[in-house]
Amino acid sequence: MAETLLWVLPLVPTVAALAMLTTGDRRILSAIDVGSSAVLVALTLLLAREVEAGGPRSLGVFRVDDLGLVFLLLLVVLTLAVSIYTVGWLRQAVAVGNMKAESLRSYFALVHAFVATMVVTVLADNLGVLWIAMEGTTITSAVLVGYHGHRHGLEAAWKYIIVTTIGISFGLFGTVLVYAAAADVMGGAGTMSWSAIMEVAPTLDPGIVRIGFIFVMIGYGTKAGLAPMHLWLPDAHSQAPTPVSALLSGVLIKCALLAIIRFQTIAAAACGPAFAEEVLLVFGLISVVVATPFILAQRDLKRLLGYHSVEHVGIVVLGLGFGGAVGTYGALLHVVNHGITKALAFFAAGTAIARYGSRDMRAIRGLFAVAPIGATFLMLAALSLAGVPPFSIFVSELLVLRGGIGHAHWVAIAIFLVMVVVIFAGLLHHAGAMAFGEPAAAASREPEAWSPLLAMMLLAAIMVLLGLTIPASVDGLLRRATEVVVG
Amino acid sequence: MSAESVYTIVDDLGALLLFTMILILAAGQIYRAIYAVAAQSLLIAIAGGVLATATGNVDLWVIAGVTLGVKAIVLPWVLLWVVRRMNVRREVEPVIPVAATLTLAVMVVVMSFHVSASLGSVRHAITGNALPVGIALTLLGVLVMATRKTALHQMVGLFASENGIFFTAMAVTQGMPLIIEIGVILDVILAALVMAIMVLRVRSTVDADIASLDRLRG
Repeated sequence: MAETLLWVLPLVPTVAALAMLTTGDRRILSAIDVGSSAVLVALTLLLAREVEAGGPRSLGVFRVDDLGLVFLLLLVVLTLAVSIYTVGWLRQAVAVGNMKAESLRSYFALVHAFVATMVVTVLADNLGVLWIAMEGTTITSAVLVGYHGHRHGLEAAWKYIIVTTIGISFGLFGTVLVYAAAADVMGGAGTMSWSAIMEVAPTLDPGIVRIGFIFVMIGYGTKAGLAPMHLWLPDAHSQAPTPVSALLSGVLIKCALLAIIRFQTIAAAACGPAFAEEVLLVFGLISVVVATPFILAQRDLKRLLGYHSVEHVGIVVLGLGFGGAVGTYGALLHVVNHGITKALAFFAAGTAIARYGSRDMRAIRGLFAVAPIGATFLMLAALSLAGVPPFSIFVSELLVLRGGIGHAHWVAIAIFLVMVVVIFAGLLHHAGAMAFGEPAAAASREPEAWSPLLAMMLLAAIMVLLGLTIPASVDGLLRRATEVVVG
Repeated sequence: MSAESVYTIVDDLGALLLFTMILILAAGQIYRAIYAVAAQSLLIAIAGGVLATATGNVDLWVIAGVTLGVKAIVLPWVLLWVVRRMNVRREVEPVIPVAATLTLAVMVVVMSFHVSASLGSVRHAITGNALPVGIALTLLGVLVMATRKTALHQMVGLFASENGIFFTAMAVTQGMPLIIEIGVILDVILAALVMAIMVLRVRSTVDADIASLDRLRG
C-alpha cells in the first residue's frame, strides 16, 4: 500500500498538469488545481500513517522516511493553500490584465509540473534522481518567475536560471564525488542510493567526502538561498506571481535544505559530525548577517520577504550546525514554521499589493481601514516572522538557540541574537507603517475576496496552533526525523 | 588496454580539455567560444569511448554517444542559431582584462591539482587526473560566467562547467549509472532550450541583451 503511494504521489500533479493542458476555462482549471492538491494532501496523510506504523518504505529510486515526511507534509499543505489562494487571486489578476486569460492553461500546467518535481526531490532516495528533480524544479519555476513577461520579470528569471543552474552543477559534482567514494568501498558499479550509502558511510574515504560535501553545500545552498549564493533569491521571489512566490519561498528552498541534510548525514558518518557542523555554522551565520541590512533598508514589500527567507534559511542551517538532538529538532521545526508563515506573509502581501497597485511599502498605508481581515493576517505573519511569542517561529528560534547553548557556541549565539533583535525592530516598523495610518486615495476599497482569505485562515490556524502547542503526532514525527539526522 | 595506458590517455585528454578551456576564456568573439566548447565536448566523448574500451562498460559507450550528439553537435548548433538570430558579431567586452582572467585561471588550475594531491587514495576511486581537471573545468566555467556579461557567454560557461563534471563522473571506477547520466543530459538540454527562449524573448519584448537588464538591485 505505502509502496504504491510512493509512485502515485508524484503522478497526481503530473496527471493534473497534463489534464490542464486540455482546457482553457478558468473555473475548470481552478477546480482541477484545488482538487489535485486536495488529493495530494489526503494521500500524504495516508502515507504518513503507514510510515508511522511500519517505518520507512522504499520502492526503486523512491523512499520515504520520517525526515522526508516532514518536508512532504509541508509541501502538500502549502500546495493546497496556494491552490485555494489562486482561485481569488487569478480572478483579480485577469481582471486587471496582470495575467492573460488565454495563457492560463500553461500557467497552471507549469505550477503542477513544478509541484511534481518537488515531490520527487523529497521522495528521491537515489542521489542522482534527487539532482535531476532539483534541476527540474529550476527549469519549471524559472519560466513561472518570468511569467508576467515584463522587463523586470525576465531579468529575475534569467538571473534565477543561470545562478541556480551553475549552483547546482556544483551539487552534481559533489554527488559524483560522494558516489566515487561509495563505489570505491563497495567495489563494482557502486550505488547512488542514499540509504545504501548510509550503510557504508563510516568506511568512506573522508578526504573525498569532505570535498564532496563542500561542493554539495555550495550547490544546494545556492538553491536554498544561503548567502553569499543568494543573489537570485530576492529578485525571483519578488518578481514571480504571488502564488509562485509562496511556493518558492515556502517549499522549494526547503527541498534544497533536505538535500543538504541528506549529505550532512553522510558527511557526519564519514568524517565525524564536527566537520559538517562547522561548514553549516559558517553558512548559517553569513546568511543571517548578510540579510539584516537589506531587510532594514528595503522598500519593496516582496523583496523584503525574499531577504527574510535568506535570514530564516540561515537560522535553519545554524540549528543544523549547532547540532545535537535539540538543535536539529529546532531546525526541522523551523523549516515547517517558516514555510507556513512565509506563505501566509506572501499571500497577505500579494493581496495588499493588488489593492494598492504598488509594491513600494511607502505607498501601502492604512491597510486596516480598507481591508481589515487581510491587514490582520499581514500583521500576524509579520509578528510571527519577527519572532514574537506566542507564534510558532518564536518557539523554533528558541530551540535553535538552546541547541547552540548546549554546545557552547557563544560567539555564534551572540551574533544570531543581535541580528534577530535588529530584524525584529525593522520588520515591526515596516509592518506597522503599512497596517495603520490614513489609507492612500489610490487604494481600492473593494470587499475582500473569500478564497485568499480562506487560504490565509488555514495557514494562520496552523501557525498559531504550532506556536501554542506542538501536537503529539507532529512532535513524534519531528523526533523520529531528528533521529534520522543525528542517529 | 593496460591500466597504465588508460591513465596516460585520460591525463592527455585532461590536458587538451584544459587547453580548450583557455580558448574559451580568451575568445574575443562569441562563435569562437562556441566552437571551443564544442571541441571540448568532443574530447569528453572520446574520453568516454576510451574508458568504455578499458572497463568493458557498455553504458559508457551510450553516454559517449549521447555526449557527442547532444553536447558536441546539437547544443553548439542551437547557440550558433541564436547568435545568427540576434545578429551579434561585435566583440564582447570582458569585465576584467583577458590577461587578468587567464592569470586567475592558472591559479585555479594549480589550486585544483594541489587539493587533489592532498587526497591519498583518490587514485583508487577516480582514474588518472580526472578529479583535478574536473574541478578546474567546473570552476573555470564559473569564471567565464563571472567575467563575461552576455547571455550566450554565460551559457557557454555553463556547458564548460558541466563538461568538467561529466569528465570526472566518467572516470569514477565504472561511470555513473546510465539512467542518471541520461537524466542529467536531458535536464541540460531542457535548461539550454529555456535559456535560449528567454534570450530571444528579451530581444523581442524589450529589445535588449539580457546583460543590459540590471535594474533589480538592493
